[in-house]
Amino acid sequence: MSEMIPRLVGQRVKRVEDPRLLTGRGEYVDDVHLPRMLHVALLRSSVAHARIVGIDTAAAAELPGVHLVVTADDLRDRVQPIVCDILPPGAWQTSAYPILADGKVRFVGEPVVAVVADSRYVAEDALEAIGVSYEELPPVMTVTAAEAGPETQVHEAWDEAWFTHKQLRVGDIDRVFAEAAGVTRRSVEVGRHTGMPLETRAIIADYNPSSNALTVHMTTQMPHIMRTGLADHLGMPEHQIRVISKDVGGGFGVKAELYPEDILVSHLATRLGRPVSWVEDRREHLLGTIHAREHFYELEAAWDESGRILAVRAEIRVDGGAYSVYPYSASMEPGMAMGVLTGMYDVPVYHADSWAIATNKTPLGPYRGVARPSACFAMERLMDAVAHDTGIDPLELRRRNLVRADQMPHTTPSGLEYDSGDFEATFRKAAEILDYDATREQQEELRGEGRYLGIGVGSYVEQTAHGAAEFVKRGLPVIFGYDTSRIRIDASGNVLVHPTSHSHGQGHETTIAQVVADALGIEIERIRVVYGDTQDVAYGSGTLGSRSMVMAGGAAHLAAVELRDRLVRIAAHNLEVDPGDLEVADGEVRVKGSPATAVAITEIARWAHHRPERIPSDLEPTLEVTSSYGAPPGTGAFSHAVHMALVEVDPALGTVQVLRYVVAEDCGRIVNPMIVDGQVTGGVAQGLGGALLEEIVHDAEGQPLTTSLLDYLWPTAHDVPFVEIGHLESLSPFTIGGIKGMGEGGAIAPGAVIAGAVEDAMRPLGGGFVRKVPLTPERVLNLLNVDPTGRVPESHEENQK
Amino acid sequence: MRVEINLNGKPFAADVEPRMLLSDFIRHEACLTGTHVGCEQGGCGACTIQVDGRAVRSCLLFAIQVDGSTVRTVEALSDERDGALHPLQEAFRECHGLQCGFCTPGFLMSLEPALASGPLDDEQAIRDAISGNICRCTGYAGIVDAVRHASNTIWNDPDIGTVDDLGSLGEDAPRSGAGDE
Amino acid sequence: MKPPPFDYTAPRSLGEALRALADAAGDGKVIAGGQSLVPLMNFRFARPGLLVDVNRIPELTGIRRRDGELRIGATTRQADAEQSGIIARGWPLLRQALPHVAHQQIRNRGTVGGSVAHADPAAEICSVLLAYGGRVEVASVRGVREIDASDLFVGQFVTTIEADEILTAVVVPPPPAGTGTAFHEVARRHGDFALAGAAAAVTTDDRGRCERASLCLLGAAPTPIRRAAAEAHLVGNELTDAVLAEAVALATADIEPPSDVHGSSAYRTRAAREMAARALTEAFARSARDRGQRKEAS
Repeated sequence: MSEMIPRLVGQRVKRVEDPRLLTGRGEYVDDVHLPRMLHVALLRSSVAHARIVGIDTAAAAELPGVHLVVTADDLRDRVQPIVCDILPPGAWQTSAYPILADGKVRFVGEPVVAVVADSRYVAEDALEAIGVSYEELPPVMTVTAAEAGPETQVHEAWDEAWFTHKQLRVGDIDRVFAEAAGVTRRSVEVGRHTGMPLETRAIIADYNPSSNALTVHMTTQMPHIMRTGLADHLGMPEHQIRVISKDVGGGFGVKAELYPEDILVSHLATRLGRPVSWVEDRREHLLGTIHAREHFYELEAAWDESGRILAVRAEIRVDGGAYSVYPYSASMEPGMAMGVLTGMYDVPVYHADSWAIATNKTPLGPYRGVARPSACFAMERLMDAVAHDTGIDPLELRRRNLVRADQMPHTTPSGLEYDSGDFEATFRKAAEILDYDATREQQEELRGEGRYLGIGVGSYVEQTAHGAAEFVKRGLPVIFGYDTSRIRIDASGNVLVHPTSHSHGQGHETTIAQVVADALGIEIERIRVVYGDTQDVAYGSGTLGSRSMVMAGGAAHLAAVELRDRLVRIAAHNLEVDPGDLEVADGEVRVKGSPATAVAITEIARWAHHRPERIPSDLEPTLEVTSSYGAPPGTGAFSHAVHMALVEVDPALGTVQVLRYVVAEDCGRIVNPMIVDGQVTGGVAQGLGGALLEEIVHDAEGQPLTTSLLDYLWPTAHDVPFVEIGHLESLSPFTIGGIKGMGEGGAIAPGAVIAGAVEDAMRPLGGGFVRKVPLTPERVLNLLNVDPTGRVPESHEENQK
Repeated sequence: MRVEINLNGKPFAADVEPRMLLSDFIRHEACLTGTHVGCEQGGCGACTIQVDGRAVRSCLLFAIQVDGSTVRTVEALSDERDGALHPLQEAFRECHGLQCGFCTPGFLMSLEPALASGPLDDEQAIRDAISGNICRCTGYAGIVDAVRHASNTIWNDPDIGTVDDLGSLGEDAPRSGAGDE
Repeated sequence: MKPPPFDYTAPRSLGEALRALADAAGDGKVIAGGQSLVPLMNFRFARPGLLVDVNRIPELTGIRRRDGELRIGATTRQADAEQSGIIARGWPLLRQALPHVAHQQIRNRGTVGGSVAHADPAAEICSVLLAYGGRVEVASVRGVREIDASDLFVGQFVTTIEADEILTAVVVPPPPAGTGTAFHEVARRHGDFALAGAAAAVTTDDRGRCERASLCLLGAAPTPIRRAAAEAHLVGNELTDAVLAEAVALATADIEPPSDVHGSSAYRTRAAREMAARALTEAFARSARDRGQRKEAS
């Protein structure tokens, strides 16, 4: 593996992308204005589960300014529904997510009719003139109802309620439970919420019939995967499709799927021969963009007298919504939850069952952390429960159960290959930042004054930069095995880098430039990183799963190193020295130990383009290299972190104030500490949203009750404290430079940590076990009606919404 | 209907339907796309601009309502030709106050008048000033730091000069008791 | 989320505006700040045929003290009210409530009159108006009239202002010397509509006994509500724990706040009790402090 010699890597380099974004000169999809552009609005299902009896679009089509009205009938045999099945083996039932609802609707918000008009205003007027008659079916709104065998399944051909059922069996669990000193049982759940980037989804498709060329501007984290998805579903040759995704206003996972609207709008452009734009509005976003979380856990832990966890048994149910999403399938959430549940803890015996269950809700998909925040919540709730049942301090209990540094590399019961890390040291670091013991004393003192503070602790191991091995194991149809970077040095000696990763806040224009600058020995100002256009670089996965710095950064490093070697060879040829005697630094290639004998990279670049006679005969002119990198063995690089929070609860109102939030994290080599801290803090903010504020709620009829920003509450500046961050650096043995991914981490633990902290604060008042987030004020007060084992006296059950 | 405004110091006019939102007017009629639209229900603040010196949400105004007004958008904050950043923009860059950048123009337009009326360096006051703007990326830490940093630059740094020297910073800011007669 | 089509007029005088509204025959809607109306139109929940924009009518704006009373022109921005010295000195309850109204950018555009006319049951300004025993002035082509706050709010988003009338000003009488006020609300996030809230104004005598009390709950019913029985119980008493408990019980015994995703009726009832208790406690304390200060000064 090629060595990384950090110079700019590790520095707090200010972001290259900022001036453009700060001055309003970014280019988001809706900023693209094309001549003759038309606008789409979608009529979405107003009911959760129904057969479509009839659709009357005649009046809408007549309205001035309306160009086209389409239903499923107009799409049949022209575009394909989205089917994302896992590969065998594995228990699996398929679903087809139609581009427009075809005969049946399966969730409120499912697209039914599309209108293309001169403006979005007119298109929305036309929606009001469309009549759809539904024959309503009883909606399947909970996993419990689905499993009970409803009158009408979400997918009528199914035999069972689930997309997938997976099992994991490691060790003789019955024996361990029978012999254990004690057993702790709890049920927990994480509410449904979602990523909610500030920019909603948007797509502009522009089709040129003369050349059969389709250009698609879209808000996506993965342009190349989208190109393939569009080609497959539109039946178009892939080389005729260009996907452009310049600035994207936040992704968080919800822009890493192929959606029906993507296929629909592209298709409409090919039908009309004019640019067609669809910009999702916020109401549509809350209905039609994937939702996340909504996991249910039945947990049991067997432990010995010292509080050592001997075995864990888990049943994991995920409310997968109506359809399996492309390219992950509905199996990703339950599979990952089952795989990562045990986290930092050394659990030798582990049995788990997991299901993704279909309901009449918006399809579920990955949001920052994917299944990890729910799994972390479940495991850390279980640890707090064991701490309660054994009477051991929650921090101490966790320490006793950690996988130790001398056990690295460590294979977990689910088969994850932890590559490195000292979990105990990270726990120490977090406790030190919080000043755990002193904070416990302060908590005790303030209780005397009638103030109720609580401390919460949580930890996780985050598999990042998963490569081929991991995705093959999951049975995904698309294996995100590598990313690619193409680097070109131009005739003036400046550098253009095209990674296949996509940046929507992560700062790749800066961090990838840092990597390239170090490898090429030139100034960062001479490097430009441009991503988001499928025409610029061969192929790669895009930005998902905390992979970009490892994969695209690694690929950029490899390409830059190869270019550096070419520069050296050209210099050696001209200086008439051995290439081994040369080094690259400060923008020149020079003789080691004799720096006066040097040639500038600008000069070499000029030769490579304009003076072929100065190039060694076995080298081609120009300076361009494309490299792909998959971080072999492809099992991932494992970051980890410990989070702690101090909260204060107002026991009369149930409101929670987060006084302090501490993160001690280890993501291997840090490329840019400013950006790492920003990612951590931003992740924590989203996690706090899920812990205290954000929840998508449906009524029994399947109507979503949270379709506006009066109901769906994302955190404001008042809801997120400064996050106190400490770093450790255990380099990954598997990746270039020892870098690990870290983009998702911050969002993983807050639910667990806040739940523990609130429970801790409420305990002296008689508060019980926290089984669910988000902790609305009412749920906090209702803790007074729950006992520490999580049981709810019957008379209070209806309050446990 | 005809809408004529002073947009970032220059006249701009267009004929639009009464129902056209000011946010659409700025973005799609005047083609100033730095003002972003995040919700069209007043819940995110991304579309914040200034009308007659006050920070308001452009998705909650019809363009026709600001006929005759002075409208200022993020494009006016930096130098149009050389791109030189306003001290507030510099501070956002220095303190990592932005990630995806979509919410950023709204924050800047909310903060510019707030900073013009006096130092803004108390954490709670800063959080109050930005509580109507949602940032989904940063967790606000970099933004709060940036405001403090900008406040120090603008109000304390002798090289920056007085607020009056900054021209636009002092103009049209709402003053205490502005509505009293 | 684009609004449906409508006609628009922005008259320069009240007379013109009233004529336009009358001519619209019930299909017209007044827009002032529009911070509640425009979202409703964007969602297409509201679809007036004609918008009468009253922002260009000079006589509708401004904060003045007239005959000892506070008179706030209908289109006065909430932000200006928040900054007003007249209000801060003379009507502190309003000043205390205003920072809870949404966020700065909303208050920069939102108007005092608009908030009152919109009549959201959880609106801070409505509850303060009711607590202070204020009134509104309304005008139509048929003439002008005043409506007491106690007669104004009749249901959720419903007032006794007729379709052809425009609210022109909010008028608040001066509170007696020695009045202490407090405004408390609990919301999911700062700036959100309250789950429960209470506005209190209490006047005490030298011995701390209540001479006059006013307590208004917001978010507890389809309108903001004055709690006369609780007020009557307070008058003549010092604020002992028992008196407070009884007043709070009287104030909240019959409330049935709505349930929604943010909290059930039972939660809101409980929160309303807490808000009432906190507002009364603080208002009594402020009244006592005010008496103390004035005694020192004299």
